[in-house]
Amino acid sequence: MGMRANVRRELVLQLLLTLWIWGTVRVSEGIWLNLPASGTKCVSEELHTNVVVLADYVVVSEDNSRLPTISIKVTSPYGNNLHQKENVTHGQFAFTTQEAGNYLACFWVGGDNQGGGDVSVNLDWKTGIAAKDWESVARKEKIEGVELELRKLEGAVEAIHENLLYLKSREAELRTVSETTNTRVAWFSIMSLGLCIVVSVLQLWYLKSFFRKKKLI
Amino acid sequence: MERRQIYVVAALLFTLIGRISSLSVTVNDVECVYEYVLYEGDTVSGNFVVVDHDIFWSSDHPGIDLTVTSPLDNVVHTVKGTSGDKFEFKAPRSGMYKFCFHNPYSTPETVSFYIHVGHIPNEHDLAKDEHLNPINVKIAELREALESVTAEQKYLKARDARHRRTNESTRKRVIGYTVGEYILLAIVSILQVVYIRRLFSKSVAYNRV
Repeated sequence: MGMRANVRRELVLQLLLTLWIWGTVRVSEGIWLNLPASGTKCVSEELHTNVVVLADYVVVSEDNSRLPTISIKVTSPYGNNLHQKENVTHGQFAFTTQEAGNYLACFWVGGDNQGGGDVSVNLDWKTGIAAKDWESVARKEKIEGVELELRKLEGAVEAIHENLLYLKSREAELRTVSETTNTRVAWFSIMSLGLCIVVSVLQLWYLKSFFRKKKLI
Repeated sequence: MERRQIYVVAALLFTLIGRISSLSVTVNDVECVYEYVLYEGDTVSGNFVVVDHDIFWSSDHPGIDLTVTSPLDNVVHTVKGTSGDKFEFKAPRSGMYKFCFHNPYSTPETVSFYIHVGHIPNEHDLAKDEHLNPINVKIAELREALESVTAEQKYLKARDARHRRTNESTRKRVIGYTVGEYILLAIVSILQVVYIRRLFSKSVAYNRV
């Protein structure tokens, strides 16, 4: 009796595991892009410093025998090349941002594309809290199930708080630029008026002295 | 021991739920992004903002259109002519959904979008899987609520990026146009004086004036 319960539990475990594997392999997270046969397609995201980025890309096609290949190039805002691969069908990359700005990932179809049709690429781009490795946290702290879910929610709340502070600092920067532009508009307009008056006075004075010299006045 | 393993696997199953994508794409004419919805009845929510529009000569740019098409090729949601909006709809079936941005003008625009597919297990899922209890439903609802806050924050961040570009452009314009104006004023007044001098010069008929 005990043996049968054990076997049943093993079976349930296997079933759940295969379900999970089937789920992740059959349906990956992320968005799908359609690459035209010629030309580049780029996606970008604006990130600040010290953000962890984890990305996965895979070429998807109906018949798995002839997978077309793509090339990818990931650049940082200052132009550094973070990841570059030619003629691959899948890959992944991870980096921590050192500079704040626009991070660009560009795809184009490699040379090996029979039929010349559009190529479908699945890109799973995760930043910040979404890129956190919860499995290693679960293993290290030996938590599972509901406690792990609550820990994830706590992480999400902390990420929300950080984002809010970041938005607040951005708004403060924006406000200082707005206010300096405002004072500049006022000063430059007054200066322009003053310059206009000064220039016209100089003109009149010069022309008067010129006509006097020519004995016309 | 077995129960713990099952909990771990069940927890791993939860990682399938709730996919997030937040990216920017440059729209020349039409750009389409696809997202897979696992379960029928999932709430697909998101937002998009036109971040970088170089047409600063008129303050009311008509914006871009968004069209969401279901796997059966019928239109689920459309938004026309805005510079940024939020959207939310219930997926009528599972499958691949197409989100297309259409730019009616020839200048390319950069659109920052965020799409989130959220699933909350309902009574049907609870009945099917004996390891899901009502607390998982509550946790899923909580997670969806937090995701909606995160979505709002991403929307605010994209709007702030757009505002920042407008601000930068204003600042550059103020400096550039003011310096140009001063130089032009000085040149024009000097040219005026030179012209009037020439009118009275001896080489031209002196007595004409």
